[in-house]
Order: sequence, then C-alpha cells, then structure tokens
Amino acid sequence: MKDGKNIVIVNKNQNELAFFGKITASTTHEIKNVLAIIQESSGLLEDILDMSESEEFKHKDRFISTLGRIQTQIQRGIGITSNLNHFAHSPDNERSRIDLNDLIKNLSTLAARFARLKKVELIAELTAAPLIVEANSVQLQMDIFNAIEILLNHIEDGTVKLILDKQDEQLKLNLQYDLLTDSQFKCVSTSEEWLEIQSRLLNMGVQIILLT
Amino acid sequence: MDELTILLVDDEQEFVTTLAERLEIRNMNVSVAMDGETALTIVEQELPQVVVLDVMMPGLNGLDVLERIKSIDSKIQVILLSGHGSSKDGIKGLKLGAFDFLIKPIDIDELIIKINEGWKKYCDSQ
Repeated sequence: MKDGKNIVIVNKNQNELAFFGKITASTTHEIKNVLAIIQESSGLLEDILDMSESEEFKHKDRFISTLGRIQTQIQRGIGITSNLNHFAHSPDNERSRIDLNDLIKNLSTLAARFARLKKVELIAELTAAPLIVEANSVQLQMDIFNAIEILLNHIEDGTVKLILDKQDEQLKLNLQYDLLTDSQFKCVSTSEEWLEIQSRLLNMGVQIILLT
Repeated sequence: MDELTILLVDDEQEFVTTLAERLEIRNMNVSVAMDGETALTIVEQELPQVVVLDVMMPGLNGLDVLERIKSIDSKIQVILLSGHGSSKDGIKGLKLGAFDFLIKPIDIDELIIKINEGWKKYCDSQ
C-alpha cells in the first residue's frame, strides 16, 4: 500500500486478523452478558439485605461489604471487556479515521498489565479536541504498543505518561517517564527497534518522542 | 395516570428474570419475554407503557421488535439495551422511535430513571 512517499506493507494477513477480531468481539459480548447476570444477582442480594433488619441477619454488614467488592470487580471486568471489544474491532477496516485520544485511552488500559509487571503506572494525557489520523488501526496500535514495551523493557517502578499534543499540524505522542536516566534515554531512543517504530509512526502521521 | 407496566425483553433468561425481580421489589409491575415473538404477543395483550428491549437477540432482533411495537402502539416507550460499547445500535434505534438506550450491564438506578421518564412521556402523549 502506498502511503505518501513511502511504501508501507500493512495487513498481509487481513483475513486472519478480521477472523480473530470477529471471534474476540463476539466473545466479549458473551462475557459482558455473564457480568450483567452477576451484577444483577449481586444487586438482588443487596436489595434483599436492604429489606432485612441488622438484628434479623447477624452477618449483614459483612455480606454488604463482600457484595461491594463483587460490584467493584464487576465494574473492572466491564471496563476490561469493553476495551477488549473496542480493540477486537480494530481490523474491521483496513484504513480508518481514528481519534488518537480514543486509541491512546484504550491502549493505555490494555497495556496497563504489562506496565504493572514492571511496577510502572501508565497515565494517558489526552487533548480536549479530537486528534484525527487516517491510518491502519492495527498497525498504529501495534507500533505504539511496541514503543511502550521497548521503554518498559528498560525501566522499573515509576510512572509513564502518554501525552498527546498537536503542534504546527503535527500530531505528537510524547512518552514521559518520571525516573528516566540518561543511559535509559540513550538505550531506548537510539535502539534500532525504536527508530524503526518512530519512522513508521511518522509515516502514519504521528510523531513519537521520548521526553528527557 | 394508568398503573405502570413494564415489559423486559432479553434472551438471557437469568438476566431478565433477576432484573424483573429487582424491579418488582421496587413495586413495579413487570412482565418478561425471552424472544421477540413472545414480546410482541405480550405487547398486544397487555399493552405495557414501557418496554426494555435487548437489541441483539436470536430470531427477531431488537430493532425489528421495536418497529413492530411502534406499529402496534406508537405511544409505547421503548428503552433499548445494547451490549456494544459503541452507540451505533442506539442511534439506529432512536431513529426508529426508541425513547432511549442503555449499555449493558446496566445500573438499576439509571434504568429506573429512564423507565419513569418513558412512563411520563407515555402519559403526556395520551
């Protein structure tokens, strides 16, 4: 596929990706249905507990606090499956108009576990106005995810901010790590992988920068 | 005002019966259906004022059922339930005359607010 001056090969396996996405998206709906049933069932238990007096039911407070934990985890599950559903729809179109704010918000959640394994917190800093880029969504997400992963491979602890910005019509994604050392900066920003990703993202209209 | 009657339609039996029980605890009069055909029969027989309708069901889907309900009685207010994170189904439903839409899993308090708003709209259109 021609993309500006550069020839970018995208989605050689479009059919396989579409199949994978379709099944994943469908499965997330099933998981959401399961979560909906658990939510209503725990809600019903709360309703029943609310109808009884504390004296009638010895362990009422413990039940209520446990149900609260179940509800919290249901909400967590809903968030995860919603993000996964969104992600699974990525291969629906080979090329689409994407708001980087939506993409980064979703991707930061999906990448959070990878970061957590390195004791790193990911924070997305979005812009008020949409930042539209026309690109292959799978390729774009894969490159941004890989860039985050390269950074994570060199760090432990702290916070990585994914800061979106637009300057002189150029869309920018700044990665800011609060404990970054000079040697980490050098290792990441001069690595072959990083430079390749940087170049590919630029071809898709996004400049990625590791802030010092 | 007539007494509020609600029809819940969803092919997930455990979901729809549990939700019905929660609404009944709140003194609401609720019927349930687990497919579009049964829902339409209940609509014709009981004429509920508010229908809470899942979009994605086997057989007649929610949007088909919505159109048929509106042709039976356009005053009946339909709240769509969608499993999708996107609002595509909801927007399509609103164009077909749905009162509102909610994303599953739902918050019971939000559902009750929507049901009451739907009921008010039904009564205002009498």
